[in-house]
Amino acid sequence: MSLKSEIPIFEVKQLSFRVREQLILENVSFEIFSGEYIAIIGPNGGGKTTLIRLLLNLEKQTSGEIKIFGKKLKDFKEWYKIGYVPQRATLVDETFPATVEDIVKMGRVARRGIFAGMSSEDKAKVHDAMQKMDILDLKDKMVGTLSGGQRQRVMIARALASSPKILILDEPNTGVDMVSQQRFYGLLGKLNKEENITILFITHDIGVIADDIGRLFTINRKATICNDPKKLLSCDEVSDLYGIPAHSLANHKHEH
Amino acid sequence: MFEMLSYDFMQRAFIAGLFIATLASISGTFVVLKRYSLMSETLAHSALVGVAIGLVAGYNPLWVAVVISILSAWLIEYLRSSFSIYSDAVLSIMLSGSLALAVIIVSLGGAFNNSLFSYLFGSILSVSNADVYTIVGFGSISLAFLLLFSKELYFIAYDEEVAKTSGIKVKFLNFLLVTVVAIIIALSIRVVGSLLIGALMVIPTVAALQYRVGFRNTMFIALFFALFSVIFGMSLSYYFSLPSGATIVLSVIAIFIISLLINKK
Repeated sequence: MSLKSEIPIFEVKQLSFRVREQLILENVSFEIFSGEYIAIIGPNGGGKTTLIRLLLNLEKQTSGEIKIFGKKLKDFKEWYKIGYVPQRATLVDETFPATVEDIVKMGRVARRGIFAGMSSEDKAKVHDAMQKMDILDLKDKMVGTLSGGQRQRVMIARALASSPKILILDEPNTGVDMVSQQRFYGLLGKLNKEENITILFITHDIGVIADDIGRLFTINRKATICNDPKKLLSCDEVSDLYGIPAHSLANHKHEH
Repeated sequence: MFEMLSYDFMQRAFIAGLFIATLASISGTFVVLKRYSLMSETLAHSALVGVAIGLVAGYNPLWVAVVISILSAWLIEYLRSSFSIYSDAVLSIMLSGSLALAVIIVSLGGAFNNSLFSYLFGSILSVSNADVYTIVGFGSISLAFLLLFSKELYFIAYDEEVAKTSGIKVKFLNFLLVTVVAIIIALSIRVVGSLLIGALMVIPTVAALQYRVGFRNTMFIALFFALFSVIFGMSLSYYFSLPSGATIVLSVIAIFIISLLINKK
């Protein structure tokens, strides 16, 4: 874990979001530092995806403040520092004309100027991202022909191609088989430990990831943060969220 | 083939036609991938309002069509992004509204004549030198914009939200795309006709998509199909005295059907 004296990647203060009369998020506050590995869990409709969308400036908060790398959201311009893999990213339109390499190259678009072609650095980053995700041999394949697990790795490679400081993933395992999910968690852990990429992701697989994550955010309109990974599954808040005892969640881990 | 090119009007028609084929197919690739296919049809009807105003008021119909088309494109984008109305519903309202308005204008102005007919269905005889200059001038600027922002437009077509989160100016580029599409459609109505230009924009890309190749190759195939359709269609138009728009569109539909059969699963 990084020293608290450094500028956090995300600094969220008293964040609330309301749609008409319905309060989706209420007074959520937290900080995310470089190198962290954080999972977000919570019931459907609890505000997990909304929180991510607020962090990414895809929605405007009702009140509160978000800072990214020390800058207010409206002043932040270096969006390439954030890699984002949205929910259902693997459920691609099968007719869309895109090879694996076409998709991964998209990760470099924001870094290139309007008039610039692919520089040798761009090509190297694209190659590197595909190598890390073990999809080099698929680079000329159409994305629509790949399996869910392969598509998942392509989407992460796209996000990695921009050399992000943080990777944000919203339920990345949608439409992915169990074997690929295990491989996916291994890759995420490797990116976090070896590349020092901060990981923030929404998941339902709390049992599977409990050993690796550093902190757990539970979101159900309000946010609760479990800071001690060893006690993750005994957090009362986790049990309350899902309406089942924490030990059941722990047992769920061994069923995978 | 070479005999018909000895006529000035055919040379003008071919220059304009090949330029329009290039513009329509390249912009059409983004239009189709962004699910904006109906927009091209709607803007073509809006351009007709410009033609009607031009004919009745005595201005160059092509220029007025460009202006009205751009304004319509902006209005559509504004309505889509600012109100809770389904996109296809907005397009449908604009499409029928534009056509109704155009009919009223030409009725009141007494401009229901052969000139209007040529704008509806295209006519290779009607392409003047001024039209060629306008098409090549505006068309070159439009093409430059499309090629300059092609990587951003492709990213937006693939996933608008992810493109936005990576720092791409999605709203600006969406407005730019519809503006360029509006210009291209207005420029095309001389050769292809306002009722048929939507087809030249959409069908080459849909046919190219059947070959399931990457983005760049899809665009090249669509361009080839569009160029071929224009050459073949205008030749048919010349030899059989048929409206050029109709022969071009039937040619591209034939290519689409062949592509569909070749790539049948």
